[in-house]
Amino acid sequence: MTISKGTLRGSNRIKENDKRRIIDESQRKRRQRKVMEMLESDNYHDDPHADLVMSKKVPKFEDNLEQRSSRTKRKERSVDYYQFKYRKNFQQLVDEDRAESEAKQRPSYMDIQCGESQLPSRHFCAVCGFLGQYNCLSCGTRYCSIRCMETHMDTRCLKWAG
Amino acid sequence: MSWDSKSPKISKRRRSSTSKDVPTKAAKSASLKALIIDNGGYTIKAGYNRDEEPQIIPNCIMKAKSERKRLFIGKQIDECRDCSGLFFLLPCEKGYITRWEVQKPVWDQLFGKDVCPINDNPTIITQPLFNFKSIQDCMDEIFFEEYEVPSLFRCNPTDLAYLNYAKENRLSRNEACLIIDSGYSFTHIIPYIKGNKFIQAAKRLNVGGKLLTNHLKDIISYRQYNVMEETYVINQVKEDTCYVCEDVKAELREAAKPFSKNTIVKNYVLPDFNNIRRGYIQQANKTDEKEESCQILRLNNERFVVPEILFHPSDIGMKSMGIAEAAVKSIYSCPKIDRKALARNIIIVGGNCKFPGFKERLYAELRSLLPDLWDVKVFLPSDPITYAWKGGGALLKLHDFKSNLVTRQDYEELGSAIIQERFNNFMIDDSRLDDSSKPPKEQTNFKYLEKLKSRSIFGKQELCPSGSSNDPTNEENGAASNSKNEQGEDGIVDSNKEESNSVSDEASQDSFQAVEVDKGKKSKVTQEKQSEDDVDIDSDVSEEDLTKSLELFPFGTGSYL
Ligand SMILES: [Zn+2]
Ligand SMILES: [Zn+2]
Repeated sequence: MTISKGTLRGSNRIKENDKRRIIDESQRKRRQRKVMEMLESDNYHDDPHADLVMSKKVPKFEDNLEQRSSRTKRKERSVDYYQFKYRKNFQQLVDEDRAESEAKQRPSYMDIQCGESQLPSRHFCAVCGFLGQYNCLSCGTRYCSIRCMETHMDTRCLKWAG
Repeated sequence: MSWDSKSPKISKRRRSSTSKDVPTKAAKSASLKALIIDNGGYTIKAGYNRDEEPQIIPNCIMKAKSERKRLFIGKQIDECRDCSGLFFLLPCEKGYITRWEVQKPVWDQLFGKDVCPINDNPTIITQPLFNFKSIQDCMDEIFFEEYEVPSLFRCNPTDLAYLNYAKENRLSRNEACLIIDSGYSFTHIIPYIKGNKFIQAAKRLNVGGKLLTNHLKDIISYRQYNVMEETYVINQVKEDTCYVCEDVKAELREAAKPFSKNTIVKNYVLPDFNNIRRGYIQQANKTDEKEESCQILRLNNERFVVPEILFHPSDIGMKSMGIAEAAVKSIYSCPKIDRKALARNIIIVGGNCKFPGFKERLYAELRSLLPDLWDVKVFLPSDPITYAWKGGGALLKLHDFKSNLVTRQDYEELGSAIIQERFNNFMIDDSRLDDSSKPPKEQTNFKYLEKLKSRSIFGKQELCPSGSSNDPTNEENGAASNSKNEQGEDGIVDSNKEESNSVSDEASQDSFQAVEVDKGKKSKVTQEKQSEDDVDIDSDVSEEDLTKSLELFPFGTGSYL
C-alpha cells in the first residue's frame, strides 16, 4: 500500500464532504437490509414463464398413483386448496410462535437465534475481496486502495441510496 | 422416549420373524418397514429404512428459459438440457415451508409410483426445530387425509443425526453430544443431554448454503460476469471450488501473489449446456479445444472468503456470532457436568460440512476457545448430507418407538393439537425443563446471556408464582430446602442430586469470588494472564473468563488481523 491512512483521510475528507452526499446511519441500515434480502432471495430475475400461466398445469398426484387405484374415495385436493387454507407469511408464523411459546412457557423460534458476536469484526475490501482498512466517506463501504475506492465510487457507492 | 442402545428384546423378536426373501442385514435393521423423509429446504432425502442409501431430490420446482412448455419438478431437472438462467420455485422460506403450491407438487411427484411410492407405509418426516403450528397442521392434513398414511411421525433432523451417532458409537445415555447441522437455509447447534434435546442451549445461525451461493453470485457479478441469474450454475461453482482455510490472513497473502506463483487461483470452465453440461476446474497447462469457446471464471480469494461467512457472519455485516463461537456459547449454556462430554462429541452434518477444511477449521477454533484440558473432538460423517436420514433406522429401533407413532385414528380422534404435542416433545424431557432451565450460576455474570428473558420463560417465579407446590423436590425436602433454593436460584439443580449439587455450587461460588478478589489486586496485564490460566486449569470456566479468552484469542488458530 503506498498511501498512508493519514494523508488519505486528511486530504480527502474536506473534498469529499463538498462533493459527495453522505449516507446517514438509517440509510446505511436500509442498504444493509437490502443486501440481506438479496442474499436470502430465491431468484434475481423474474419468472421467465410469467406470461404462460403454467402453474395451474402441475400434474396431480393421482396421475402417479395407479398403485392406489383400489382407493376410490381418496380426497383429491388441488394445489391451491392447501395454499389458500394455510397461507401465512413468515412474520405471521414467527408472531404466532412467540405467542404460543409464552403461553406454554417454552423457548421460541426467536429465542434461539444467535446473538451478536463478541469478536471484533474483520474488514474486507468490497471491490477486490482482500483486506480493506478504509471506509468510504459517503456510504461506509470498505476498500483497500485508491484504485478500489475509485471503482467503488463509480459503481456501487450511491447505487442503492434512496 | 428413551434411547436404548442395546434393545435385546427387539433383536430376538425380529430374528424370529425374518422371512427368507429378506436379507439378514435388512432384517437386523428393523422389523417395521417405514418411509423416511428428511425434508430439507434444498433437497429431500427419501427412502425406506431398509434401503442402503436415500434418494436425493431437489426440493423445488424449476423453470428453464429454453423449455417454455414444462416445469421441472424435483428430480425431473435431470431431464433438462439447458440449465442456464434456471428459475427456482422453493417451498421453504428461511427453512420453513410457506409455499404449499410448490411443496405439494414436489411431494406428489416424489411419492408417486415412479420415485418413492408412499403406499400404505408408516412415514417419518423431518421438520425444523420449532416448526410452526400452521405448517404442522397442513402436513398432518396432507399426509393423513390425502396420502392416507397409516401412521406418521415427525422429528428434527438433528434428532436422527444424534440417534445415528449414538447407535454407531454405542453411546451411553449419559454422554452428551452437540449436533451442528449446517444446511441450505440455516445452521442449528443443538446439545443432546441424556438422550434429550437441551433446547435452552440450542442456537440457530441464519447462515446456510443459500446465502453463501447468493453471496458468491453477487461478488462474481461485481468483479467478472453478471451471473445473477445463474443460481444453479454458481451453486455448482461453489461446490466445486470453495473451501474453508485454516488462516484467512495467510490465505489472503497467498492469494495476493501474482497468478503465476499463486496456488489458490483457479480457472473454472462454465457450462455452455452444449458441449459442457457441468462446469469444472480447468487443468493448469492443459488447453482443451472445446474450452476455447467457453466462458472461463477466474476464482481467487472468492474460494475461501465465501465460506468464511459461516465462521464470521460479520464479514457481510450480519450482527451474529459465527458457528464456532455459537457452539461454545451453547456448550456453556448447558449444565456444567455435561460440558466436557459435549466438547468431545461434536457431530457436524449438512451440506456445508462438505467444504474441504470445514471440520479442521471448526476444530481449530473450538480448540482455542475451549479450555486446554478438555478433549475436543469433531466428527464428520462420510456423507454429512444423508447422515440424518440414516438415523431413521436407529429411530425405528428405539425400544418404545412404535408407541410414539401417531396413527390415522389418533389423528382423527385426538386432533392435530395433541398429536403435535407428541411430535414436538419427542426427545425433550419436561422434567429437565423445570430443573435445569435456570441458568447455571456462572452465567449470572455472563454478559451475553439474557438472564432476565430466560427467567421469564423458565424461571421458578413465573412457573409457580406462590413459590411452592409445583416443584416436587421442594415438597420432599420441606422447609429445609427453601433457604438452599433461594441461595441456589441460579444454580443447576438436578432433581436427583439437588443436595450435592447445591453444595458444589456453593463451593464454586466461593472460589469464583476468591478469583474475583485476587484479580482486583493485580495489574491489568497479570489480570489477563490470570484469566488465561483459569481457562487452562479450571475446567469450569466462568463466564467472565470465557469473554476474556475471546479477547485474547479472537480468531483462534484461524487467526486473521
Ligand atoms: Zn480492494
Ligand atoms: Zn461508498
